[in-house]
Amino acid sequence: MFVQTLILGILVGGVYALLASGLTVIFGVMRIINIAQGAFIIMGGFITYTAWKRLGLDPLIVVVISMIAMYVIGWAIYFVAVRPVRRAPVTTSVLLTFGLAFFLEGVMGFIWGNNSVTVRPSYVDTSLHLGQFYLPQNLLYGFILAIVIMAALQLIFTRTWLGRSIRAAASSEDAARLVGVKISAVAAVTFALGAASAGAGGAIVSLMGPFVPGSQILWITRLLSIVVLGGLGSVPGAVIAALILGVGEALMSTYVSPLWSPALSIFLIFFILAVRPQGILGTKLREDVAQ
Amino acid sequence: MSAGTPGPAGPGRVTPGPVAKGSGTTTARRLSRRALLLPVGVVCILIAILPVLTGNQYYQNMVIISLVIAVGAVGLNIITGFAGYPSLAQGAFLGVGAYTAAIGSVKIGGSPFYWMVLAGIVAGFMAFLLGLLSLRTRGFSFAIITVSFLLLTRIIVQNWRGLTNGSDGITLPLPYWDRAYMNWPFHFALVALLILSLLLAWRIRRTKFGVGLIAMREDEDKAGAVGVNSPTYKLVGFVCSAVFVGMAGAVYGYYLTFVDPIGMLGLLFSVQIILAVLLGGKGTIWGPVLGAFIIEPLNEVANNQLGGGNIRLVIFGGGLVLVVLLLPQGIIPTLRKKITLYQERKHPGLTGARIELCERPMPAVRPELSPVNILEVRDLNKRFGGLQAVNGCSFGVPEGSITGLIGPNGSGKTTVFNIITGMMKADSGEVYLDGKRIDGLSPWNRAHLGLARTFQITRLFGEMTVLENLVAPLRDFSVGQLNRTAMTGAEAAKAEELLALVGMTAYRDRPCSALSYGQRKLVELAQVLALEPRVILLDEPAGGINPTLIERLGELIVELNGSGKTFLIVEHNMPFVMGLCNPIRVLARGATICEGSPEHVQQDQCVLEAYLGGDYAVEPKGEAVA
Amino acid sequence: MKRKSILLLSLALIAVLAVALFAVACGGTEATTTTAAAPATTGTTAAPATDTTGAPTTATTVANAAPLKIGTSLPLTGGKSVPGSAAKQGYEVWQDMINTAGGLLGRPVELVIKDDASDQNTIVADYNALIAQDKVDLLLGTFSSLLVLPSSAVAEKNNMVYVTPTGASPKIYERGFTKTFMSQQALAPDAGKVFANYIANLPADQRPKTAAYPTMDDPFTAPVIEGIKAIFTAAGIKNVYEVTYPEGTTDFDSIVNAIKSANPDVVVHGAIFEDGVAIVRGMLKAGFKPAWLFQTTAPSTGDQYAQAIGPENTEGILYHMSHSQKANTPGNAEFVKRYYEMFPEAKDLPEDVADAYAAGQVLAAAVTAVGSLDQDAIANWLHANPVETILGPLSWDAKGIPQGEFMIAQWQKGLTEIVLPENVATAPIIAGWKPGTPVPPK
Repeated sequence: MFVQTLILGILVGGVYALLASGLTVIFGVMRIINIAQGAFIIMGGFITYTAWKRLGLDPLIVVVISMIAMYVIGWAIYFVAVRPVRRAPVTTSVLLTFGLAFFLEGVMGFIWGNNSVTVRPSYVDTSLHLGQFYLPQNLLYGFILAIVIMAALQLIFTRTWLGRSIRAAASSEDAARLVGVKISAVAAVTFALGAASAGAGGAIVSLMGPFVPGSQILWITRLLSIVVLGGLGSVPGAVIAALILGVGEALMSTYVSPLWSPALSIFLIFFILAVRPQGILGTKLREDVAQ
Repeated sequence: MSAGTPGPAGPGRVTPGPVAKGSGTTTARRLSRRALLLPVGVVCILIAILPVLTGNQYYQNMVIISLVIAVGAVGLNIITGFAGYPSLAQGAFLGVGAYTAAIGSVKIGGSPFYWMVLAGIVAGFMAFLLGLLSLRTRGFSFAIITVSFLLLTRIIVQNWRGLTNGSDGITLPLPYWDRAYMNWPFHFALVALLILSLLLAWRIRRTKFGVGLIAMREDEDKAGAVGVNSPTYKLVGFVCSAVFVGMAGAVYGYYLTFVDPIGMLGLLFSVQIILAVLLGGKGTIWGPVLGAFIIEPLNEVANNQLGGGNIRLVIFGGGLVLVVLLLPQGIIPTLRKKITLYQERKHPGLTGARIELCERPMPAVRPELSPVNILEVRDLNKRFGGLQAVNGCSFGVPEGSITGLIGPNGSGKTTVFNIITGMMKADSGEVYLDGKRIDGLSPWNRAHLGLARTFQITRLFGEMTVLENLVAPLRDFSVGQLNRTAMTGAEAAKAEELLALVGMTAYRDRPCSALSYGQRKLVELAQVLALEPRVILLDEPAGGINPTLIERLGELIVELNGSGKTFLIVEHNMPFVMGLCNPIRVLARGATICEGSPEHVQQDQCVLEAYLGGDYAVEPKGEAVA
Repeated sequence: MKRKSILLLSLALIAVLAVALFAVACGGTEATTTTAAAPATTGTTAAPATDTTGAPTTATTVANAAPLKIGTSLPLTGGKSVPGSAAKQGYEVWQDMINTAGGLLGRPVELVIKDDASDQNTIVADYNALIAQDKVDLLLGTFSSLLVLPSSAVAEKNNMVYVTPTGASPKIYERGFTKTFMSQQALAPDAGKVFANYIANLPADQRPKTAAYPTMDDPFTAPVIEGIKAIFTAAGIKNVYEVTYPEGTTDFDSIVNAIKSANPDVVVHGAIFEDGVAIVRGMLKAGFKPAWLFQTTAPSTGDQYAQAIGPENTEGILYHMSHSQKANTPGNAEFVKRYYEMFPEAKDLPEDVADAYAAGQVLAAAVTAVGSLDQDAIANWLHANPVETILGPLSWDAKGIPQGEFMIAQWQKGLTEIVLPENVATAPIIAGWKPGTPVPPK
């Protein structure tokens, strides 16, 4: 049972990593904590559901549609709501994105209703069996897809001019401007990329279990603890933290009680922020930590 | 500029003893304010006695819930409005209060009203815990911790079945009094709690505690540097923000006759409370109340007219977004600003006025250099990642001297300053003030011991007036001090003296955000003088100001030095330094490379090399450079 | 800059609204229609029909009288929206049928339905509004014990009768209320009694030896499981694993894994809906098939459940049921027929619809018997008299606790059949859960 629990935890952790990477990248470049990331994920899930239900497409293919759709939506949201507060103190953007999260939840409820939805392609109830262990196929595909997308994002960041601009802007906005980087465009693209990764994550989440618009708040608390644990702005940190949380939750659910699993991410937040606020691999944020 | 919201209109001003100067529309302003207060007062009284006026359950319910939100919002205002810490945990205190009263009433007995006081105490205690947990965090991390605290409280309540009945919730007996007066006790209890909360907020605003909180909001590190003990203030502020909220929770739980984790510890309630604060105007006294009485009816309209569930999320989520984007100050401050702008539209500002240069008596002779070092650093080391910024730095500052600290850019001067004042912790090394080690002390303790500092880029409390800035520094700390009036007549007079010293008297009532760079430098100097320090560290005082002002500054420093203050000055302006400072310490690459009189330093080989590089040929004053 | 933001914001809002309208117009799946205080249909002017006493009444007298307002608040959105919407359908069918039959006390019934979004604070405000603003004459209850608890208190405070289709948590009835009545057969601890006794009384070679008890932390599901566990344990069935998980759990694989490791013969699951689906799917993924599977609530939601876990996997799942479409109870055939007429896209008849209908029947019976809207008289009558409903006869003790017994239903060949008690069974019970059984086309 222990090994199986570990396997499940790692698979789930991989998916968490993809979901958290968008959040941590947005923070790294824009110093904005996007509390609405959970809502983006669920929205991606609903888009996947609609595409699957109406067009009969396999969710793994719909990932692309979901990413594009969320990219566009993220871009629009950025220009309307986020850009005005980009240079405001972090707390302003926290409150703003918090309101945005609830707003989107209500909108999703309007469009898709509040009944739970499930996405059920043929492989959703089957598993890959290795000896006495089983890897649920939906989790497995989700895990692989998460790795692929994160690798793609990493390639974008390191090999393309866009990626370098993003990293430059994250380092020093004024210096980047001086060398010809258009900050407003870069910021918009970063936010949109973060939303797109949430869209991909949402497609995977839709495979994992039933969800409603209200699920967004559960996801964002989990993501926040991952991002805080891994260190704000660090993608490798987020990956490590996501795996830790995935395995931790699985172990807690199995050996202690599922009633305390949600508390795990919260304890982690308290612990990290009290002991090592920069997380495992992150940079210290001067404003939010007393020296 | 500090990390506060922009705009000259700040929270209610603290009026000092002497008559307020400024534009001549004070009387007009007072009259119009009175005219506004009358209808507002009538409305308040009507709402307060609502159950007497109408038996309509629907409106009574709406007002009761508005009152609950209002009490929550007024409490939240203390930690979020005054101190600037965005807390999303207010719903947790409400829920904890409700549960305390319910548990006490059901398990031990007695009406929940009797348990109200305990509910308040328990809520206050939880707030204290939350304060401890979040002591070292600010901004985003703080917000996240408060949300987590709320969620964790709910999980604990859900799982601790023995005490709380878990998810089943606790049902309370129905009220046993006459149905005609069904809601009266709840309503009036909440009105009383709201009045008490408002009194507390009003009192806080008028005390040193409130000023300290606002200083923390404007610039927390600067507040520490002028003697404000921010962790303690934060804890006290948290407790104050929760006590009445807990009591209101007890009343609300009894009103619903049912407390359960999901209903009492939900996130949406906290969102509504913080929205009420933001909407009405954080930092004002009545803003949260106004916000609450807008939010709750909006809630009802959303439920009844517009179809419930999703509309509420859209309205409140979208509302929060809109308020942050379009009305970040809130309703009351924005209105105030508009009124002030309108009233002062014909009166020119004070920009461009020259500094008052008045003749000050100059000390006859410079005091003797004392052999005792009042300030001393030994073997300081500080590394930032791969960069060794301070590398075994040691030097002393003789008592009563004006010591200069110079060195090329990147030599670690500001870092050393930060270490001396406590804003940064050295990796190793010691700092001594008056023979006592201070490197373990917090910044405000060092300020209390007589160590003051100005900043390279001036840091003042933007939302406060110049006079308030001068009264904000605290020379000591005690819990009793928290309750002292923010500005006594004596303190105001003393502050005005300091203002006259630096020539900024005309700007007494201007908010600091409206001053020019040079003016800010002068005010900052006056501000640190309010600490009556023994050692003053000046970080590039002559940077970015005009020559007349530089000269004036030099004269000020000499005069103050004559009255016994020691100075340590970091500067790049060589004539200024050489003419003023003796002795001089030279820093390069994090270590002292030369010490001595100005003449000695000017000719030292190491200094030349540090500034100009080893291969730069200089017109030698008698020595060849290789 | 500010003006530009406002412009952009307005454009964005318009865009969002446009998308929403577009999605809804194209038949957005399961989009809930906004209801709130929109009054439902008033009396129909159909051809004269017979009312319950058999005497023909003319529709015109009904249409002319002042409408009788009956108010309720249901979770039409939020976490409990699935059963909440079903309850709304039940009330609407009841309203339609009673108005066709001549109304209540000769007046057409008008339903005032509010949406509390599954939120306790809202439901209190809603019921207060119903009583004070809408000035309803009668109240009907809501779904879920968590919502019944506070709303019944509002009713009791205002001395109004509160007949509720759900609210099976015993705590509701321990408060000394005199006007709360539940229109199902029994409370939660007894919901699975008939099933538990059946299993416990199987011959030793057929009886399962071990059992696992996963349940959601919910005031309804937990007592049901406790009740079954008590009977099983007394019969010697070993408890090899039990777990309680919080509402909102999304990841059930670990829980399923733990259940699988304990290898129970029977799994007794206290579910609502999403979790019921998730654990079944989880067990399929893990390749674990207990001999018997009993779930609360989720299997009773009909086609939604079948589609969610796969119709071929439903074979043999047992659950407690308050209503049977085929039962020969008074008015049942007409009710079922009318339901499918009013909601043609429905593929099955969820239990909550029937329970809501029964609540209406109970209220109507009492009001008709008393002949007025005197709340005290109505309450006293209900304490003293049974009511024949589509669920069978219902009666209550002094606390308002119903005194009947639930039925046990089972999925067989893609349809739901009553299997216990045997005297009302529509099909013999299948011995155990058999996922992967192909479903014959209907």
